[in-house]
Amino acid sequence: MKKITNFQELLDIKQEYIDKQSKYEFNVLVCGGGGCVSSNCHEVSLALKTQIILKGLEEKINVIQTGCMGICAVGPVILILPQRIFYTELNPEKAIDIVDRHLIKNEICTEYTFFDNAFQKRVPCIDDIEFFKAQTKLVLDNCGEIEYDNVDSYISRDGYQAAFNAIKGNNPETVIKEVEESGLRGRGGAGFLTGVKLRSGFMQESKEKYMVCNADEGDPGAFMDRSIIEGDPHSVIEGMLLSAFAIGAQKGYVYIRAEYPIAIERLERAIAQAREYGFLGENIFGSDFSFELDYRIGAGAFVCGEETALLASIEGKRGEPKQKPPFPFQKGLFDCPTIINNVETLANIPKIIRKGSKWYSGYGLPHATGTKVFALAGDVVNTGIIEVPIGTTIGDIIYKIGGGIPNKKQFKAAQIGGPSGGCVTKDNLNVPADYDSLNKIGAIMGSGGLIVMNEDTCMVDTARFFMDFIRDESCGKCLACRVGTKRMLEILERITDGKGEEGDIELLEEIGETIKLTAMCGLGQTAPNPILSTIRFFREEYKEHIEDKYCRAGVCASMFTSPCENTCPAGINISGYVSLIASGRLQDAYNLIMQENPFPAVCGRICTRPCESKCRRGTVDEAVAIRELKRFVSDYAFKNELPWKIQMTFPRKKDKRIAIIGAGASGLTCAYYLVNIGYEVDVFESESKAGGVLAYGIPEYRLPKAILGHEISLIEQSGVKIHLNTEIGKDISFKQLREDYQAIYVATGTQFPQKINIEGEELEGVIHGINFLKRIHHDPDFKLSGVVAVIGGGNTAIDSARTALRIGASKVIVLYRRTIDQMPAYHEEIIEAQEEGIEIMELVSPLRFIGDNKVKEVECVKMQIVNFDSSGRRKSVEILNSNFKIKVDYVIPAVSQYADLPFIGKNEITQTKWGTFVIDNKTMMTTMPGVFAGGDIVRGPEDVINAIADGKKAAINIDLYLGGNGILNKGEKIEIPVVYDNDEIVAHNQFEKEVLDPETRKNSFDEVVIGFHKLNAIAESMRCLHCERR
Amino acid sequence: MINLMINNKSISVPKGSTILDAAKQNGILIPNLCYLENIHKIGSCRICSVEVQGAKTLMAACMTEVKEGMVVNTKSDKVIKARKVLYELMLSDHSKECLSCNRNLNCELQKLGDTLGVEENRFKTSSARHHLDISPSITRDLSKCILCRRCVTVCNEIQGVGILNAQNRGFDTVISPSLELPLNSVKCAYCGQCTVVCPVGALKETDSTQRVWQAINDPNIRVVIQAAPAVRVALGELFDYPVGTSVTGKMAAAMRALGVDDVFDTDWAADLTIMEEGTEFLNRVINVLEGKPAVLPMITSCSPGWIKYLETHYPELIPNLSTCKSPHMMLGALAKSYYAELKGIDAKKMFVVSVMPCTAKKYECTREEMMNDGMYNVDAVITTRELGTMIKQAGIDFRNLKDEKFDDPMGYSTGAADIFGLTGGVMEAALRTVYAILMGKNLPFENLHVTPIVGLEKVKHASIKLEGVLPKYKQFEGLEVKVAVTSGLAGAKELMDQIKAGVSPYHFIEVMGCVGGCITGGGQPRSDDVNVREKRMSILYTEDETKHLRQSHENPSIEKFYEIWGAPNCHKSHEYLHTHYKDRSDLK
Repeated sequence: MKKITNFQELLDIKQEYIDKQSKYEFNVLVCGGGGCVSSNCHEVSLALKTQIILKGLEEKINVIQTGCMGICAVGPVILILPQRIFYTELNPEKAIDIVDRHLIKNEICTEYTFFDNAFQKRVPCIDDIEFFKAQTKLVLDNCGEIEYDNVDSYISRDGYQAAFNAIKGNNPETVIKEVEESGLRGRGGAGFLTGVKLRSGFMQESKEKYMVCNADEGDPGAFMDRSIIEGDPHSVIEGMLLSAFAIGAQKGYVYIRAEYPIAIERLERAIAQAREYGFLGENIFGSDFSFELDYRIGAGAFVCGEETALLASIEGKRGEPKQKPPFPFQKGLFDCPTIINNVETLANIPKIIRKGSKWYSGYGLPHATGTKVFALAGDVVNTGIIEVPIGTTIGDIIYKIGGGIPNKKQFKAAQIGGPSGGCVTKDNLNVPADYDSLNKIGAIMGSGGLIVMNEDTCMVDTARFFMDFIRDESCGKCLACRVGTKRMLEILERITDGKGEEGDIELLEEIGETIKLTAMCGLGQTAPNPILSTIRFFREEYKEHIEDKYCRAGVCASMFTSPCENTCPAGINISGYVSLIASGRLQDAYNLIMQENPFPAVCGRICTRPCESKCRRGTVDEAVAIRELKRFVSDYAFKNELPWKIQMTFPRKKDKRIAIIGAGASGLTCAYYLVNIGYEVDVFESESKAGGVLAYGIPEYRLPKAILGHEISLIEQSGVKIHLNTEIGKDISFKQLREDYQAIYVATGTQFPQKINIEGEELEGVIHGINFLKRIHHDPDFKLSGVVAVIGGGNTAIDSARTALRIGASKVIVLYRRTIDQMPAYHEEIIEAQEEGIEIMELVSPLRFIGDNKVKEVECVKMQIVNFDSSGRRKSVEILNSNFKIKVDYVIPAVSQYADLPFIGKNEITQTKWGTFVIDNKTMMTTMPGVFAGGDIVRGPEDVINAIADGKKAAINIDLYLGGNGILNKGEKIEIPVVYDNDEIVAHNQFEKEVLDPETRKNSFDEVVIGFHKLNAIAESMRCLHCERR
Repeated sequence: MINLMINNKSISVPKGSTILDAAKQNGILIPNLCYLENIHKIGSCRICSVEVQGAKTLMAACMTEVKEGMVVNTKSDKVIKARKVLYELMLSDHSKECLSCNRNLNCELQKLGDTLGVEENRFKTSSARHHLDISPSITRDLSKCILCRRCVTVCNEIQGVGILNAQNRGFDTVISPSLELPLNSVKCAYCGQCTVVCPVGALKETDSTQRVWQAINDPNIRVVIQAAPAVRVALGELFDYPVGTSVTGKMAAAMRALGVDDVFDTDWAADLTIMEEGTEFLNRVINVLEGKPAVLPMITSCSPGWIKYLETHYPELIPNLSTCKSPHMMLGALAKSYYAELKGIDAKKMFVVSVMPCTAKKYECTREEMMNDGMYNVDAVITTRELGTMIKQAGIDFRNLKDEKFDDPMGYSTGAADIFGLTGGVMEAALRTVYAILMGKNLPFENLHVTPIVGLEKVKHASIKLEGVLPKYKQFEGLEVKVAVTSGLAGAKELMDQIKAGVSPYHFIEVMGCVGGCITGGGQPRSDDVNVREKRMSILYTEDETKHLRQSHENPSIEKFYEIWGAPNCHKSHEYLHTHYKDRSDLK
């Protein structure tokens, strides 16, 4: 082939290629990225080509293979030009269908196009897909758009023009200056200024100099460099050529890892093509400049990404780093000045030279210009390769481009920078992804690996994983890294194995700091980062592992029997009672639940069931309906009334009396367990009925009063004395209580509705949620009429809305400031409310209530979603001038509740600014000796199961405080049958339960959910995978 | 000069100095472990970490060059704390059997613990390595290895043998031959230089003292002991004499006090070697001059490490090696023949012990070529260090011993024998005798020292033009004898490659396996004195210069020996004093 020596030749090739492509009616771009290759894009490509030939369309349709399009999760993918229709998750059958329908009949096959999870719809045109829309592609602009295997294709995109002009101009200074002014920083990790590097290479006086490309991309889950080389190899070659020219190097190497066979193959061919055109070799473009480029395959040592180790490896030596200085630019490959840049950095250079530094520095931040490619992996909807301007927030990357966290799980953290990096938590979702901001929070930009982790991730285990990786990859040269990482790993292993010891966290920090300070190379110096970072943000989790032997994520298997039991705050033996149901021992199942929770019927109805979110069956089809099974056995037990009798094996401790303030779930649970180990317990309740928020806060249709009353009566039967209508501070002084009782448990909950503090809140017709529900409870004849607006998105808001509907409202509107999917209320309640005809207006916030005496209108403003708040949810802010009014007859603000206890002065006991009590997390004691607290008075408005768990934990601690051994009396041990069926698991969703239809239920307070039929209950129980069997 | 501050003290040091150098020159000692002045600089132990203002991390003082205006703190909180943690980490991967270790109280790791004041050991974990590799010469106990890699540097860069290296990676790294093969299956020369630099008990000579004690304590065995020239200039160091003290008389007394029967001097056999080797050389040259087949250059064969290196790396050059056994082997062979006959002893009941500065000789004495009459010439080789241990074990108050002499008939030696212990010595001794034989006069160098081949350069050479040779050797007239001398196997490699390429200009080459020769052999006491070679060397030259007779052929007891034995290179000599070699290139 003719060597290119003048510019016109480049332009001719470009024109020729463009002409050839535009001849075709359709260009079908098949993604040939590593991900799509793995999901068999070749079959799709073959099917397309075959079908095109069969239909005789070769002249009209051109099928070309491109590099990675980025959205690897939905591969194989193709893009059809000119309409830019994007088809995903293809197979040969679909491909043939696309030829027949799209390419022949010009009909878009919508059902194969991209499905946007967030919006729950198909988006056919690639340019409308949020994943692509939110990106800015500078480095990746050719990837997925051009033929990786055709140098002409690269030239058609103005490729090699920059190199031509620079080399023909024969002034390295122009290249160096342009790169300097662009502000480009190394994309490999440390972010060193590329221009400074090139200049220092240029300044070195030496006959021999080398240019090296670091393509040893070793971070787990990172594949940016691979995608660039696979999709646009010539951009890297041209970047090498320009850099080599700038520093005066005659020889260059691409050091690429052996694990990238496709990239190696494509690079090799690209080098050969470049050589044929004379872009490499002697007298390039007819100039005096000669440059040879070769590649070296690394054997897969992570440390060889460290520049000195990489050079040693190219030299054929053991890949170990050397102490710096001397730096490679002084004494590098074969002791000659050497400049090393990573793939992404190099791929930027041709564009910077061609389009100018001004153009480039227009992207990104002033001190970190341009874009950064990230490999998005882990618990995120759209995994793949993305490119964004530097400074884009982590939250935007994860939610806007990544599409958020799948399966309705919570975001927990993102590991950025690979094993050398750190984690980003909910608090830091607004942190811009740039070198300095990430450094400040203990993470690094690194090469751009971004692994998203959801609530099911144990951070200690994650730290262990990274340390295991690093320990494995440490080269072993310096002591700090070689032994330090091993010892850190051992400590982490013992913590995750339930053998953590006090002082382990501090020891980890001490070794970690020492390694950071003393290790020889970058690998070692950053090795402790994931550990130090997780300790920084998740110290509590470490402590739980060490002190409580508890792994909240249910990952560290040695600490629990099954994920469901581990997640249940009350620690109910779930797999146990499910087994009992499966074997028909329903009463025993009930008894087993009662051992840990005296409110099975209540929890069987209204528990938030964290257990089900961790159920492993959910990974097969649907979680086991654990709550519904609980309800089933408690209903069964009540129907077949066998009064719960506990064996009194504990001696009475008559001398010790305990007072409990508040007869809610927490107080009664505490009382129940204390009575059962022999204490005399008095429960004081200011209301006329026991049950607290269970009694007056939850509507009848969700929790019938009779059911609650029954469970309370069983607690009373066990010996708990409940004093109703007895308010502390009024009927009995707190001081008196402290004198008469040896210990007090405060479990009053949060009784006061939080005001929203806007104009008109005092108007008639404005009833706050908790007061509204209480009123129904006291006054069953209370009625409403007309339009009711409920404000809020929690359970109280939904309960109020559904109750309002049931007592006569003609129309109920729920106003919520965020979107429906972010409402904290139970998902099914929201659905049921909507089924009953309740309207939910999302992204709306009230500004004022208007009316003379009685409220008549609510003035609202529209909201929009912006940054993330510290809970990982996006904040909503008002849209200016979007005010509108709604005519109403009643308004029920239901945003939150707070506590305010009249009997204890704020100066007597330490409280938070929300009025909740500060307690010692271990002992549950407040700052007042002998006074314990739990439930909502400590947590703020929370789930009932947590209140129950607190009550139980308080009973243990009160017993310990009073000199007992802290062992509760839970009755006789119940043998659990082995019911596990070793046969193949047949996929089956949850069995049906009976529910009242919306028309019937919306006018009555009858319980909406009727529950399982016995047959379905037993069948459902058999869906359990029995994770406890290990 | 570079100006900097260390611990608030302004100092200036030459450009190119490291922080460690700079501190030391100014009276500030920075603890360090892997670093070995002039030999090994790698920065692997990180113990010498110091705080440099402006640096993100601590810096290894042994590796970091000083810069103008640098501000260094060698004892900040950060530094002290980091060093302690590092030391704990190092200990955690070490067997810590200090009390039963060869290096107890002589261990650099122990000393470092004392220096750092570490009183904690928070990692109750075992070491990754527990492999024990016992070769005839060297024992490696990897459970003690702290991966300082000094041995790797001497093996690869100084000796050029290149069998020790880091294998595996990370915590599983071991310093070992490739594939973690045992030493006896690889091309290890057994030079033992690794055992000299090892800071801990990971590398040491394979123990022979037990066998020697057994023989001494067996009344039916006659134990003959001999000591090499280099032993006497270093043994004193084990008894707190300064480096460069000769203890010949005390050594002879101590050996006798161990309870052996005969105390001979390897020096005597060195003189004998010159007679045999000199004759061999003359014959080879005569053959060449007469057009008969003979191989030149001839290469000395006293250094068994060197012999094994040649057998494994250059088997094609075996014909160039002198066939002479090394001096102590000659003495052993004669003890069990010449001496046994003389005294009417049953040679089968004799046990010959050689005290050597060398670990390779432990292997040498086990070679089947080193047997006569069905008996090994030498039964056990102990190193200088092992002799020191035995003296201590025996409760001998070495410093208060009176000087004693070696026993006859193999105890008297000339000055030429003394210099066998240093690089260039064998060559000089040979030249003294060969020249005298050919020319009938003394070597024309001041003090008989062939100055071009004195010193520590890697490769040295000299040429001597023979003008006015005795008529008997007239064919030598006008010949310019070219010789080369090297010590350390890296230099030997250069000379051998020349021979292989057919471009070697030399007639005679001396190779010593260890740099500097036997004075710093693999069995010599470890020393932290950087001038140890020069000091020991000068003592040997003094020994030589103060001797009454300084040329081997003048040794009267050698003359007497040949009266009984025959002549150098006679048939009997060939049987007992010469040997042959084996191609061992099949070792890995």
